[in-house]
Amino acid sequence: MALQSSTALARRPQSFTQNWSAYAFLTPALIILFLSLLLPAAATVVMSLTDISFLRPTNFVWFDNYVKLVSDGRFRQAVGNTAYYTVGVTLPTMALGLLAAVALNGKLRGRIVFRTIFYLPVLTSLIAAAVVWMYVYEPYSGPINGTLTQLGLPPQPWLQSPNLAMTSLIVMAIWRDFGTAMIIYLAGLQDIPRDIYEAARLDGAKTKDIFFRITVPMLSNVTFYLMIILIVQTFQVFGAIYVMTNGGPLGSTETIVFQMYQTAFGYTEFGYAAAMSTVLFLAILLFSIIGTKIIRRGES
Amino acid sequence: MSEIAQTTAPAVPAMSFQQRWWPLAERAIGYGLLIFAALATITPFLWMVSTSFKTDAETFQFPPNFIPNSLVWQNYIDAIAGPDTGRQLINSLVFALGSTASNMVFCALAGYALARMQFKGKNLIFALVVGLLMVPAQSQIVPVFLIVQRIPFAGGNDWLGNGGTGLLNTYWGMILPTAATPFGIFMMRQFFSRIPVEYEESARLDGAKTFTIFWRILLPLARPAMAVLGVLSFQSAWNDFIWPLILTSQREMATLQIGLQLLQSGPDARWNVVMAMATLITLPVIIVFLFAQRYVIDGAVTSGVKG
Repeated sequence: MALQSSTALARRPQSFTQNWSAYAFLTPALIILFLSLLLPAAATVVMSLTDISFLRPTNFVWFDNYVKLVSDGRFRQAVGNTAYYTVGVTLPTMALGLLAAVALNGKLRGRIVFRTIFYLPVLTSLIAAAVVWMYVYEPYSGPINGTLTQLGLPPQPWLQSPNLAMTSLIVMAIWRDFGTAMIIYLAGLQDIPRDIYEAARLDGAKTKDIFFRITVPMLSNVTFYLMIILIVQTFQVFGAIYVMTNGGPLGSTETIVFQMYQTAFGYTEFGYAAAMSTVLFLAILLFSIIGTKIIRRGES
Repeated sequence: MSEIAQTTAPAVPAMSFQQRWWPLAERAIGYGLLIFAALATITPFLWMVSTSFKTDAETFQFPPNFIPNSLVWQNYIDAIAGPDTGRQLINSLVFALGSTASNMVFCALAGYALARMQFKGKNLIFALVVGLLMVPAQSQIVPVFLIVQRIPFAGGNDWLGNGGTGLLNTYWGMILPTAATPFGIFMMRQFFSRIPVEYEESARLDGAKTFTIFWRILLPLARPAMAVLGVLSFQSAWNDFIWPLILTSQREMATLQIGLQLLQSGPDARWNVVMAMATLITLPVIIVFLFAQRYVIDGAVTSGVKG
């Protein structure tokens, strides 16, 4: 009897009893989210309408900062650099992650070892990775130029040339990120029913056809999800640039967040930096919303 | 075995040479590519370790030796004995453990409330948490800096947050922006939602209070999710660079990550000592990961994707 009534209670979600202790459970987390995300996001928008700085009393300048941004050649270059970096990192990262996941999804011998190796760069701190890659790219004593010289090829100034620096940063970012893509794709592969593959094999489908006709389409939601995460993340690239190139040479690796950091903490022009931040924030938000819509549509 | 294969092979006469050997060749090519990719991935780590054992002179040799001439452990001693290393280790530990502990407590509490309690505004708060998942944290460096600087009554501030340095250059200030994350709350909420409701109902009928139910029944069941949250929080704080960089300016508050960056960019930087330091910083996270691998990968995946 007792058991019956308890399950009856559980199955009746309509009976609404206000639970006041819920607010106590939520308050600490909500205060932190308010201070670290919500208030900053709102403050950014307000600050972007002012000329707030340590240099002078604050005035409202309304949209002056945005007007300035539109005609700011350096900012436009930063937007271009950021877009190049984002596309350059996202697409190869997803392709490599997918290939690694498909290869390691079966009962392959040693797959745990491969998986762990591919995931190691994800665990490495940005600074440790940056320092190691600075050595790898080092023009006069680094291993890449060492190998090139031994093969009789000309050594390259990887991080010191305006033409190569961004590409060098992209290669390092792909190395650091494709493990994440692999793990997410592996999870997606678990959800594809086995019998689809068995049926295809019985029909004599080739590996290539199975990959392009079954695996890739069945993973399209995962692909969109991953693309959003990667784009949002790479759009905000800062640490690697701060450590490895400091925006140079000739501004060729200056990205939006790097320029924002310099504008705020170098020139203490917080208002102008906030305008940059707002533009970045709106771009990311717009992108996330469109992406989420597409995923939702795919699911229904 | 081979005899059986030979006798059964003619039974399937349609198998052409290509059909029989192609799967094997495919496997070989696949393995080859995997091994190549694994070597390419691990090579930077091998160079890191290799360089960390070289003498000063050997680090300038061109082309560099992959296998060092001798194992110079002195580089590790130099890295550890650096004037600020001890201080930086303490700072990193306080920051990482503080951030981990607060994430585990606050995200578990909030996640439980959102999963299991009934209260007004629940849907709104959950929508807010999900919405905040999309806010790019790194683009908020400027306002977060100003907010941490203007926390009332801290660091010589008045009640309006003016006059002092607030929580800048303190552990509290460093931990604050990372102390609870929308991702952590979301993950815990997803996990608690999956625990059968009967556990709580029977305890409630026995007269247990909400907090007792959470503490005695739900939290022990959530151990795997808490482990994932703990490892991910520790990893992200230990590896963090941007918040310590922006929220501290004093040398005494630098973390190991900042220390490594200073060591590398310093006037008398030595590649071998820099690499020894990089190895030492990377090891703890890799060791934690190897122990918790199953939990972490499965947890990150299930909460991140399928949730």
